[in-house]
Amino acid sequence: MINTLLLFPVIAGILMLIVRKRFFDNLILNIYAIMHIVISSILVFGKDVQTSIPYFAADNTNKIFLLVLSFVFLMVTIYNNGYSKNLPSFGVKIKNTKFCLYWFMTLAFVWAMTGTILSTDLGIAWVLVEATTLSSAYLIFFNRTKNAIEAAWKYVFICSIGIALAFVGIIFLNISSGDINSLNYAILYQNAVNFDPFWLKLAFVFMVFGFGAKMGLAPVHFWLPDAHSESPSPISALLSATLLNSAFLVIVRVFKIVTIAQCDSYARTILFVMGFISLFVTAVFVYHIKNYKRMLAYSSIENMGILAIGTALGGFAYYAVILHLIGHSLAKASFFLTSGNILELFETKRIKSVKGLLKADKKTGWMWIASFLAICAFPTSLLFISEFLMIKTMIAEKHYFLCTLFVLLLTIVLYGIGRVVVGMTFGEKSEDKAETINKNQSKVTISMYIPQIIMLLLVFILGVYIPDSLNNIIKLAVFGF
Amino acid sequence: MENMANGFIILFGLTMLYLSTTSRIISHVRLLIAQGVLLFLISCGSFEHTTGLNIAFLAIETLLVKSIIIPWFLFKVIKKTNSVRDVAPNIPHFYCLVISSVILLAGFLASNYWISSLKMIAPVYFGVSVATIIISLWLITIKHNILSNVIEFITMENGIFLLSLSVSKEMPMLVNLGVLLDVFIAVYILGLFVNVINKEFKDLEVSHLSDLKDYEYND
Repeated sequence: MINTLLLFPVIAGILMLIVRKRFFDNLILNIYAIMHIVISSILVFGKDVQTSIPYFAADNTNKIFLLVLSFVFLMVTIYNNGYSKNLPSFGVKIKNTKFCLYWFMTLAFVWAMTGTILSTDLGIAWVLVEATTLSSAYLIFFNRTKNAIEAAWKYVFICSIGIALAFVGIIFLNISSGDINSLNYAILYQNAVNFDPFWLKLAFVFMVFGFGAKMGLAPVHFWLPDAHSESPSPISALLSATLLNSAFLVIVRVFKIVTIAQCDSYARTILFVMGFISLFVTAVFVYHIKNYKRMLAYSSIENMGILAIGTALGGFAYYAVILHLIGHSLAKASFFLTSGNILELFETKRIKSVKGLLKADKKTGWMWIASFLAICAFPTSLLFISEFLMIKTMIAEKHYFLCTLFVLLLTIVLYGIGRVVVGMTFGEKSEDKAETINKNQSKVTISMYIPQIIMLLLVFILGVYIPDSLNNIIKLAVFGF
Repeated sequence: MENMANGFIILFGLTMLYLSTTSRIISHVRLLIAQGVLLFLISCGSFEHTTGLNIAFLAIETLLVKSIIIPWFLFKVIKKTNSVRDVAPNIPHFYCLVISSVILLAGFLASNYWISSLKMIAPVYFGVSVATIIISLWLITIKHNILSNVIEFITMENGIFLLSLSVSKEMPMLVNLGVLLDVFIAVYILGLFVNVINKEFKDLEVSHLSDLKDYEYND
């Protein structure tokens, strides 16, 4: 099973490089997306399936991450079928052969994320996290504008340095582990009690900053708004809804080692601080933002901050963290894909230039509002349940000040995003844009609506009812912390 | 052998001082070659504990990749982009030298002060490698040319390689291979970007890459 999941892209990738036909490449990506969700579902829900090969396994912790990745990838691929038809006319002349690299790199990117999630070895996970950076750099650079170059350069440079520092953390972990010469999580968990606390703490700092840079935690988030806003919308959705989760999973694994070694109070403080800085940074910047895709990127930073805070809180909040992760991935992917529709229609990312979205395209307008409601934790969004549980945990543990700060910052962010969304959606569409919108109406095809509708329905339904089978998976994942 | 290895490590530390005082990019790349060779000589010191496969791997990593392929590729990039010097860093070279020396000294002192109680780590290795990483990071922040930023990224990776040698245990082979591959591709991609940036912006000044802002809109 896992073999197929990891080997198919390698073979398919080679074929793609040989054939270099857009239809073929797109077909391969669709096949992989369907295969991904089928195999993941079997790995997650199936009984008596072989779930491990050397260095890779679907264990209790990563099953939910794998499922989220598969689902979002499938949705993005459906969206891509419509979106990719419009790409060359987007003011950019791209040669056919270079264009084919878009699918190849998307495949490589998803392969690297799948590997990161399934790896049972910290070293392999490190290698694959860096592989995600390298494969997605091309995708961010895809539009070939000056801004895209800048975003891609910052992304590769900052993330590579971050990941290099994470490797320093791995070396320190190796020092702290004494005689154990392995980076396998299971072996590390078994022996974590005997680890040297000084080196372990130092290792955690380096790793949380390194992988945190990849996850988008402030203050090491600087690549994120640029990269998310400059990449094509389906890629922004993948970056935000799946890449950040993969990096978070690695932090969760390391956090567990620290918890077993009983250095967790120290680790929790770091996560608390980084989480609140993330919320604060979003609250400050979301106000004056001029670019709606950038705004969504900041919202991702905020939500990653919430995940960090939930992890730091511990106890019942772990369950909330997993719920939040699922909800954020679905809602944010939908938000970014809808922003892709808006960009197709209006041909601008400037907030002020987009007005009367409902009049321009009713479905996109309503999806934009629904995505906003989902991300701002409006009941019955899954994010409402998760944030509610976190606040409840904070009150139960008597963190009154933190709780107030948390609610206050979330409210500011909500107001900031809400103001923009309302301004963009309602009112009359501006006259100078009317012609552009009419011209572009035909570009937004049916496959560019369906994924968002499915994801939004899921977010709001999961807030009311979580099936037992899924709930069991979530509960098992909680033990991974 | 032990003493010789120590000598090489100190030489390695001195290369960082040289890096912080020169502005010619060609000599930075030559310095990378020197660092690659020094890393090979240093890792020779630990050969008695390792297997044949590991020796071959270390030789390929240090000699082939670090001192031949990467510098060759960078020379090509320099030729193509016609970049000779990194003019006007934020801080004059003399102060760069002073600050780098202080960091190196601090590395030595700190490693000898803390590490002597731990058996796992060789203090000289540790001090120089930590100092190398910090000096590289610091130089990245003050240099204006993106090509020198790439070079400092590689010296940082060299520092991390030295750090991994300082631990008397080996990393699993697969991890080593992956790290090598990743670093290599990262340098390759950064090199490609250097070319693209040079074409688009006409030179390699890092300040061109500051258009994307939160409070202003750029399309």
